[in-house]
Amino acid sequence: MSIQLRLAARYLAGRKLRTTLTTLAIVLGVMVIFGLNGILPGMIQSIQQVMLASVGQVDLSITSASSGTFEPSVAQAVARVEGVRAVSPALRRTIALPRDSGLDASALVVVGIDPVTAPHVRPYPLAAGRMLRPSDESGMRTAAMMSRELADKLGLRLGERFKLPSASGTTVLELVGMLDTPALPGSEEVIVSLPMAQRMFDVGDRISEIDAGFVSGADREAVQRAVRRAIGPDYIVGAVQTESPLSAGFEAASFIMNTIGVFALAMGGFIILNTFRTIVSERRHDIGMLRAVGASRRTILGMFLLESLMQGLLGTGLGLLAGYGLAIVANNALGRMVEQIINLPPTDVRFTPSTWVTAIILGVGVTVLAALVPARAAARITPLEALRPAIGDVYEAAATKRGWAGLALVAVAVAGLLSGNTGLAGLSVVLLLAGLALGSSVAVRPLSDFFSRAIELVYRSEGGVARANLQRNPGRAAATASAVMISIALIVALVGTITSTIEGFGVYAEKSTGTDYLILPQNLLLGGGTVGAGPELRARVQDTPGIGDVATLRFANTVLNGTAVQVVGIDPKEYGRIAGFEYSKGSSEADLTRLERDGTVLANGVFTAQYGSGRGDTLRLPTPSGEKRFRVVGVGNDYINAKIPTLYVSQAALERWWGVTTDVLILADARPGSDKAAALRELTKTVAEFPSFALYDTASWRKVQADLYAQMESIYYVLALILAIPSLLALLNTLTIGVLARTREIGMLRAVGGTRKQIKRIVLSESLLLAALGLSAGLIAGVWLGYVMILAVEGLGLAMPYRFPGVGIALAVAVGLSFAALAALIPARQAAKLDVIRALRYE
Amino acid sequence: MTIAETRGLTKIYGAGETRVVALDHVDLAIEPGEFVAVMGPSGCGKSTLLNLMGGLDTPTEGSVVLDGRDIAAMSDDELTSVRRKRIGFVFQFFNLIPVLTAAENASLPLVLDGVPPKEALGRAEEMLAKVGLTHRSGSRPDQLSGGQQQRVAVARALITDPALVLADEPTGNLDSRSSEEIAGLLRQVSGEWGRAILMVTHDPRIAAHADRIVFMRDGRIVDDTRIANSDSARDAMERAGLL
Repeated sequence: MSIQLRLAARYLAGRKLRTTLTTLAIVLGVMVIFGLNGILPGMIQSIQQVMLASVGQVDLSITSASSGTFEPSVAQAVARVEGVRAVSPALRRTIALPRDSGLDASALVVVGIDPVTAPHVRPYPLAAGRMLRPSDESGMRTAAMMSRELADKLGLRLGERFKLPSASGTTVLELVGMLDTPALPGSEEVIVSLPMAQRMFDVGDRISEIDAGFVSGADREAVQRAVRRAIGPDYIVGAVQTESPLSAGFEAASFIMNTIGVFALAMGGFIILNTFRTIVSERRHDIGMLRAVGASRRTILGMFLLESLMQGLLGTGLGLLAGYGLAIVANNALGRMVEQIINLPPTDVRFTPSTWVTAIILGVGVTVLAALVPARAAARITPLEALRPAIGDVYEAAATKRGWAGLALVAVAVAGLLSGNTGLAGLSVVLLLAGLALGSSVAVRPLSDFFSRAIELVYRSEGGVARANLQRNPGRAAATASAVMISIALIVALVGTITSTIEGFGVYAEKSTGTDYLILPQNLLLGGGTVGAGPELRARVQDTPGIGDVATLRFANTVLNGTAVQVVGIDPKEYGRIAGFEYSKGSSEADLTRLERDGTVLANGVFTAQYGSGRGDTLRLPTPSGEKRFRVVGVGNDYINAKIPTLYVSQAALERWWGVTTDVLILADARPGSDKAAALRELTKTVAEFPSFALYDTASWRKVQADLYAQMESIYYVLALILAIPSLLALLNTLTIGVLARTREIGMLRAVGGTRKQIKRIVLSESLLLAALGLSAGLIAGVWLGYVMILAVEGLGLAMPYRFPGVGIALAVAVGLSFAALAALIPARQAAKLDVIRALRYE
Repeated sequence: MTIAETRGLTKIYGAGETRVVALDHVDLAIEPGEFVAVMGPSGCGKSTLLNLMGGLDTPTEGSVVLDGRDIAAMSDDELTSVRRKRIGFVFQFFNLIPVLTAAENASLPLVLDGVPPKEALGRAEEMLAKVGLTHRSGSRPDQLSGGQQQRVAVARALITDPALVLADEPTGNLDSRSSEEIAGLLRQVSGEWGRAILMVTHDPRIAAHADRIVFMRDGRIVDDTRIANSDSARDAMERAGLL
């Protein structure tokens, strides 16, 4: 083992508390980056798996490019292609199960097949019962098949009946056959005859899929190409479209998680910087001696870098382990929520090579980088240092050059913020944080003078000593304050952003779902898949005594630039009467009436941000009835669909081009002066017959939303708290280092009559002063970052009102000061318990 | 033949009002195997002389010739190499690495010179045996007495078989018994093992172990006396203001 490696290992082992604290700083950052990124790939893979499962063992699967339904005649075109042996039409729909369905699943896939042709293209290995028969198509029989695994899960036996939601309310099915096929989580299939499925989903004779089998020995590629030529570009042949509107959301989540992890690691970087500065100062004699006996500057530099590398590897290794644990815990906690919201089966945590590489490079890289400056300082120590007697911390000259550089960065940051460009504004945050961190060593003296006045009101003499302690090592104080600053900035910004966002969504909600009654599916699967209701539900709501205006929303899908876009059908007139959009700049209520003309769409903010198409632009959209050109006549957001790219068309257009006529959302207002309670009672009875739907009145809807926001808020608060932990570590680390470095001074203070209590107060005052320094910079940076985050959310197409983060500031101050008190506990006790004689002799 | 020699060696610190001439045109030659003690009041320039001869500091004027080469003109890397191979240091505060054992500390110069650790440790054990620390080679500095720590430092200074051993107040931090032992050890190093030693000390009893005492005052050599004549040594001490 090289001498550098041996020394690094021994030094690390020799100072266990410090090594632990420094390592923890790295562990935390790596844990966040690695852990949170471990959840996403599993979910993304799960989405893909669910989609791939629909292809199964079939030779070729054909779906609409717009993920909608299409005419069954396409199947004949496929059948005529040379090399195709058999074709079978199918209709596949995911249905969200109501919570009181009595079935142990949140969603199922209903597949309608043609019992005659289907077995020719796909195997249906029976485990029990019988295969579906053409006679089941009579409509009198309601036969269904499913895998034995699913039947066991649902607790169903052959011959038993079960209910599923359908466009007409519910449909009762009888289990006639069990298949020996695996039930893939998230795509567990209930197989019924095609006409039954078409009735269940009210799609007429339309289908959503054609399965084809090839002549044996056929050139698969050639046949696939021939099929593509035969049916044109509106269909996806073979490849399953796995890009979902949710993918963009996952990418955004991954970006946010990485950013948070990098922030956490940056804080860790400051802690490491401080630790290594202290290490270098402590080992001045050792370094001098090594230089005297022939160690070169490179050897000394290498020794410290190797030590940081070992520390980085240790921290990263433990961080990966902790991250794995975090991923499992968070996956379990989030899994349930995600399953409810987007119908994904519980997924395993999965770590992609890029997650490994990112976490390891960042963890080790930040550690080595943070140690580089102290290591270079160590290499500059002359051998003469070994001959000089040891002296305690002396006043370190404040780095004026760095102060000016910091000020210059802050000035550039201000210019970036004022530029009005979102990208530059984002960059301004990084520049501001870097500027404040650079300039903080200059600000330590004036700021600690200022804040110590308050502390000296309570602890007069101790406050003064604490201030002097801080001022004589401004570099260390500044690095600690910088770590605290980042924590505080994140808390203020996160809380500010969530407050503004919730208020912003509140405005959308009031505009678009502020009706007296709201009827929507219990599990609304945005991006498609939700079973709508046929005309009956709407008609019955309309006919309910006391109900005035009614409007409905219908859902379909299309594809743009290879990714799926949600299409929502509204009746512009009735929707305008009862609800409305929160229009973006340049759009207004008048745009809604333009939607009545054929070939027009209204886009939402996320759509315009993602695809760069706005008012006046023309879009070529694939529909089940062929490609169609649509002109964007306005931009606005409704509450339900604000988060994913959405185009609004008239219901007439949705029916003509997408063949969709089922209602997914029904909005209703009470007639003025009517008995609202009676209307609610009647509506409750009606909706009970459509078990996949839930009825809300204004009050209950608001409560549901408030609960949802509270849940979101609490997640953010937990996140903010996690991000505050490094600042606690930074304070604890610095105070521990300070107590160690000043052991002899503390002994002297005790010898000349200082009480244990006074020693404790000195450490506490120092901690409070450090926190105050971090708070003053952190609050400025936090307000700044919060503002930029609102700009960024606006850039995503969601206009939000900016609210000054008063709550965030109060919370940050509370966290900062209580962490200061908490961090001081152990070092203060250690300092107070020092044995006077041993402390005086301490080297 | 001299092993080390200074010619007109001058060191000036500061400028203007703070200008201090620490060493003023000092000429000194040391023979192989010679044990030279440097004495003088505080601030007379003895430590500066030691630092310059050890290549730890660079002179303002003059030269330091070691093995026939002027080390004052060398680059930092060259100086580092000379220190590693040709000079051994013994410090007042021992300066052992607290996390390494006695043998590991003693082997440091060899390890830094690229000798395989196993071989270096073996030679360190031998050297520790020579300085009377056979059974403490696995102990860390905090498990050794001051005298034992200084023996480890002497072993470290000798391990590369240097031309010159420089000792700066090697007994300054030891009790009188340990001081005598270390002085005796240095005597042995020069007399029996043939190493040249330049030792700075305040203590006449320790200086008495040397072959020759150089007395300094205000940056100059005021006397250079062979210890064989104790009367002349006493006179020289008086002239240097030590008695």
